[in-house]
Amino acid sequence: MNGKHASGPTETPWDYNHAVPRNGSPARLVVALSVAAVLAIFLLYTSIAGGGTPQLQPSQLPGHQGKVTLGGLVVGTPRGDAHAAGLRFTVRDPKGIATARVLYRGTVPDLFRAGRDVLVQGRMQNGTFVAVPGSLMTKCPSKYTPRH
Amino acid sequence: MPDLGRAALVTAFLLLVYATAVGAFAARQRRRRLAASAQNALIAALGASAVAAAVLLAALARHDFSFQYVADHTSRELPLGYTLTAFWGGQEGSLLLWLLVLCGYGAAAVLTTRRVARDLLAWTVPVLGFVGTFFAFMLVFVSSPFVTQHAPADGAGLTPSLQNPYMAIHPPMLYLGYVGLTIPFAFAMGALLSRRTDERWIVATRRWTLAAWAFLGVGQLLGAHWAYVEIGWGGYYAWDPVENAALMPWLAATAFLHSVMIQEKRGMLRVWNMVLVALAFCLSIFGTFLTRSGVIQSIHSFAKSPLGAWFLGFICVLVVGTTALILARLPLLRARTKLESLVSREATFLYNNLLLVALSLTILWGVIYPLLSDLVRGESSTVSKPYYNFFLHVFGLPLLLLMGIGPLVAWRRASLRALGRVFLWPLAAAVVAGAILLALGAGSSRIGVIAYTFSIFVLASIVLEFVRGTRARKALGTDTWAGAFSSLVARNRRRYGGYVVHAAVVFLAIGVAGSSAYQTVREQRLFPGDSMTVAGKQLAFRGFEQRRAPNHLAIRAVVDVYDKGGHHVARMYPGKNEYFAEQQVSNEVAIRHNLLDASDLFLIADQVNANGSVDLKVLQKPLVNLIWLAGLIFVGGSLIALWPDAREERRLAERYEGVLAEA
Repeated sequence: MNGKHASGPTETPWDYNHAVPRNGSPARLVVALSVAAVLAIFLLYTSIAGGGTPQLQPSQLPGHQGKVTLGGLVVGTPRGDAHAAGLRFTVRDPKGIATARVLYRGTVPDLFRAGRDVLVQGRMQNGTFVAVPGSLMTKCPSKYTPRH
Repeated sequence: MPDLGRAALVTAFLLLVYATAVGAFAARQRRRRLAASAQNALIAALGASAVAAAVLLAALARHDFSFQYVADHTSRELPLGYTLTAFWGGQEGSLLLWLLVLCGYGAAAVLTTRRVARDLLAWTVPVLGFVGTFFAFMLVFVSSPFVTQHAPADGAGLTPSLQNPYMAIHPPMLYLGYVGLTIPFAFAMGALLSRRTDERWIVATRRWTLAAWAFLGVGQLLGAHWAYVEIGWGGYYAWDPVENAALMPWLAATAFLHSVMIQEKRGMLRVWNMVLVALAFCLSIFGTFLTRSGVIQSIHSFAKSPLGAWFLGFICVLVVGTTALILARLPLLRARTKLESLVSREATFLYNNLLLVALSLTILWGVIYPLLSDLVRGESSTVSKPYYNFFLHVFGLPLLLLMGIGPLVAWRRASLRALGRVFLWPLAAAVVAGAILLALGAGSSRIGVIAYTFSIFVLASIVLEFVRGTRARKALGTDTWAGAFSSLVARNRRRYGGYVVHAAVVFLAIGVAGSSAYQTVREQRLFPGDSMTVAGKQLAFRGFEQRRAPNHLAIRAVVDVYDKGGHHVARMYPGKNEYFAEQQVSNEVAIRHNLLDASDLFLIADQVNANGSVDLKVLQKPLVNLIWLAGLIFVGGSLIALWPDAREERRLAERYEGVLAEA
């Protein structure tokens, strides 16, 4: 069926024009099994690790027991020492009035100050949002933001 | 001036519409001259977009603040270099860069393949034109860089952290990568549309794919280095959506680069290659969408930006269009051979592909999960570092291992005895290295030991490949070992360039594992005269120094570093800069490279206190410099693989003449 590659015992890897019946190709089996394996790993991971961490605003905090990411606007003057007893500040809904008090220890980002949007992980304890040390992030006004 | 820019963009838009519409008509009706005119329209669009780019550059250079874009992204004090690179600092300019690079790539691809693949080009040009039309449309109607205003006295300036040489060249590198993936995509779709589904589209675009992929890789490493020296948290990659945006198409393109070799050699995986090239291209458009539409900030800011909806629509059209086209041409894409054994070179390529795509898609899931959960449940939910690290380990470590196994396994069918023979030395090297590492106490991180053992295995197998090849060359009659080695590489540039890139990936893995699994972090509050001990080094805080620069106040903590024997090694100055105009504070880290063991001592003045003390964060990062070394090796390997090779071209040309004669 082709003149260039005569069939014979000296087949090279380049001799791909050789027609081979396709039924029972193990490639399909491999692909199917791999996809199944990847899905299984994925589902196992997400069911054990519980998927994502909810990201909430202060007004959505009541009722949530576990670890969450709190997002909002810093209002008022932050007080305290993040490398000693802890930094205390208040976070407000970006478009609302609900607030939450936050206690934080660890590195404070350069851009952190009143008026910034921040994200911080932690959980509610006795009316205060106790943050995971080092989890404070500012949503920085970077060059990637579209102009408003 | 702005009128000239606008006119140039409209011209480019019309030319690209012409290239799309007339090109498609000509391809359908087999009108050769019309098809040539569509090609010329594509080339002319390069000229038009270059004029638009020149207008914007001139406006930037002249501080013409009547251009809203110039006023928003530069100021009078900004150095000229950063003023010009503000071209891609904002949304409109970066879209213009996209268009310019796309037209450049398109014109170059048309000019170089005009003779050898005219039948393929007939449908490739309309596809290129279609992608270009989208970007030209955005620039003309949605997001124009030539919006004018009453000129303010001064511009808004550029964020301090972006005033860094790495940030000036990192975006164009990424764009050369993102946009470059359009070429293999367009040729693939051109091959499908013209029903010429042999391997020629792959051969015609091989170097383009390789170049785009190399640019994308280098761009990411530059971005990582920028984050390391400038952002100052002690890391280089944070699984940020903006970073993932470039990693996903790079992983898909890596899979594509490997699987096309299987199609070239064995005629297999033809549907898979079409899917991969479409995936890589769609992910690159998705990456542009992620970084430019504000969708990461929140789904609400995305809704406000008109750009996002257009991009999302374009991605939908691409996904639906390519899927439909591949399905319609499925009968033409039947493989000519089948996989003969699960232990063969082809099979290892297939495993590598599956792992790369799985990694890419799990990252994609992590990126879109917050958006989906917001849309579906009304409550945003994010995945973080543990999620990505888990999948990096689960898919990345087997990938690392496969890099060592693949090159040693025979094509078609490998016998177990032959495998035992070729794997003897790499396996022995890996086992010995693993034992030594455990004896040295590297067992503190199980992942780290696994990564290192695999790395040694891969390096040994790469060395073995070079040794075997050189020996074979020598046996063929080359006089010297050096001559045998260079002729080996010169005659198989792609293969041995590929091995060099593999070595780069191994160095990257060693650097990443070393600097994350084995790093030491200490934090302590120090008053002047106090000292702390980190990884055998003693650090003494001497006090603060202040210096006033034109636009900022520099505060530096003076830290003396002593080695174990008490000898003074270095004086380091971590601190902060307070920028007056921008009212921003930026962390200025101090890094000391140790070239002997490739480690870094990384000092962060985390908090400067009013009572004269400093909260010092110290990171000892072993082997981190191998990451940057890997970047250089990566460039070297890519260049070897990319280097023009007349002999190989001739070989390929002869091969496909046969295919053509058959058809």
